[in-house]
Amino acid sequence: MDTTAKPQYDDGVVKYLTVGATVFLVIGTLVGTFAAAQLAWPVLNFDIAEITFARLRVIHTNTVIFAFGGMTLMATAFYTVQRTNGVRLWSNGLAWWTAILFTIGLLATVTSIGLGITTGKEYHEQEWPIAIAIALVWTLYTFNFILTIASRNKETHSHVYVSNWFFMGMMIAITYLYVINGLAIPVSLFQSYPLFGGVQGAMIQWWWGHNAVGFFLTAGFLAIMYYFVPKQAQRPIYSYRLSVIHFWALMFGYVWLGAHHLQYTALPDWTGSLGAVISLAMIIPSWGGALNGMLTLSGAWDRLRTDYILRFLIMSLAFYAMSTFEGPVMAAKSVNALSHYTDWTIGHVHSGALGWVAMVSIGAIYHMVMKLWKTEMYSMQLINIHFWLATIGTVFYIVAMWVSGIMQGLMWRAYDEYGTLAYTFAESVSAMHPYYVMRTFGGFIFFLGAVVMLYNIVMTIRTAEARSANKVESLA
Amino acid sequence: MSMLEQYFSTDWASMTTHDWAGLIVTVLVFFGMLITFYLALRPSKRKELEEQKYKILNDD
Repeated sequence: MDTTAKPQYDDGVVKYLTVGATVFLVIGTLVGTFAAAQLAWPVLNFDIAEITFARLRVIHTNTVIFAFGGMTLMATAFYTVQRTNGVRLWSNGLAWWTAILFTIGLLATVTSIGLGITTGKEYHEQEWPIAIAIALVWTLYTFNFILTIASRNKETHSHVYVSNWFFMGMMIAITYLYVINGLAIPVSLFQSYPLFGGVQGAMIQWWWGHNAVGFFLTAGFLAIMYYFVPKQAQRPIYSYRLSVIHFWALMFGYVWLGAHHLQYTALPDWTGSLGAVISLAMIIPSWGGALNGMLTLSGAWDRLRTDYILRFLIMSLAFYAMSTFEGPVMAAKSVNALSHYTDWTIGHVHSGALGWVAMVSIGAIYHMVMKLWKTEMYSMQLINIHFWLATIGTVFYIVAMWVSGIMQGLMWRAYDEYGTLAYTFAESVSAMHPYYVMRTFGGFIFFLGAVVMLYNIVMTIRTAEARSANKVESLA
Repeated sequence: MSMLEQYFSTDWASMTTHDWAGLIVTVLVFFGMLITFYLALRPSKRKELEEQKYKILNDD
């Protein structure tokens, strides 16, 4: 028996999800850039209901979060669970069903939003038939992942690597959060009324809303970080014990934060205070995790000069640290009084979404493409160009929104000597125009980077076999 | 009653079932965190946990 043979993995479904995620990154950033342009130049709404800002903005969030982000999470989860546990997927067929049904669910979501069918609940816009279907598909994904871990050889793989913990935490939390927030009474095929109303409805909505960020966009992508940073750096994670603390602190802490979205509303005052206090406390594990990833490069920082994929992964951690500091500061009541309802929030979200989530995903996708198709990337130089387009685009975007948001907040609460408002709302909208143009420019640069990535990946896949053959010939 | 006592004084009689449920969950989570920190950070566990990080480097 050949004991040195490398284990075989089910990579077909991972390949499908990896390419799908990249395609949705291009589509999602394109729609986002166009929606940003509509805010700068409202004429671009063309008075066509299906492509007005109100609908495109939601199509954008669903495409980038659930299509790009969701497919990245599925691809990386199926990829890493096999390798960290030394087994194939529990069911390759079920994984394919999950991937195909998830794609159909995503297309149904964006189509229904375009047609104006929505619950109006942020990040949970799907009406009840689509929401139930998506929840079932998510359960299949979770089921397959957990059973793959359970089917490992306990003698050779007694310990379950920490990235799997983060994936499982994300899967379980998202299941119960999504289902509870989606509880509704259907009155027709595409209309329902939420079970929770008023203050309770708001509280449940932001319990889900912030945890979509905390578990889907943070815990899931930390799982990616804990696998792909050490793999790409070819060095073990700086501290395994710190990763365990990071995991449990995140699981215990994140679920308390939602109320910080509802400061100065009809909610009891203490709920907002609790949300703010726990938010501030979360800086400690978040920064611990970010440092854990970055210090993995201790003694090998020079790798950043030549390894462009590693640049994406490390830059993502810098943005993770920055946005997990900014968020708690914005949750504090005194800062929230200025920042809430302004573009500062949009800037904060995008420093996390573009800087952290997208960049760590991009790094992981490039890494997986080379491993899955057993080749080098078609062009490393294009990855370098992509890195700078993504970084500069993100910085343009978030700086524009910071300036715009703080200006909005200050204009809205400026009073003259008679105690009346110094500016009308329309004046504050007009003052935002240059920043909306700058934001569109930043988004467009980021979108260009995504196009470069898709081209590079397509060319890598198309030329993989030919380049492998050339390599063998040159060696012979 | 000093300012500090006044600040921390609680009308326990007016606590509702929801208040008690929230309080109990909060206290359990606090102790859960303490136990986790102890389990992960105790020196005797260091070698066992830290050696896990090398295993993924050669998984493919």
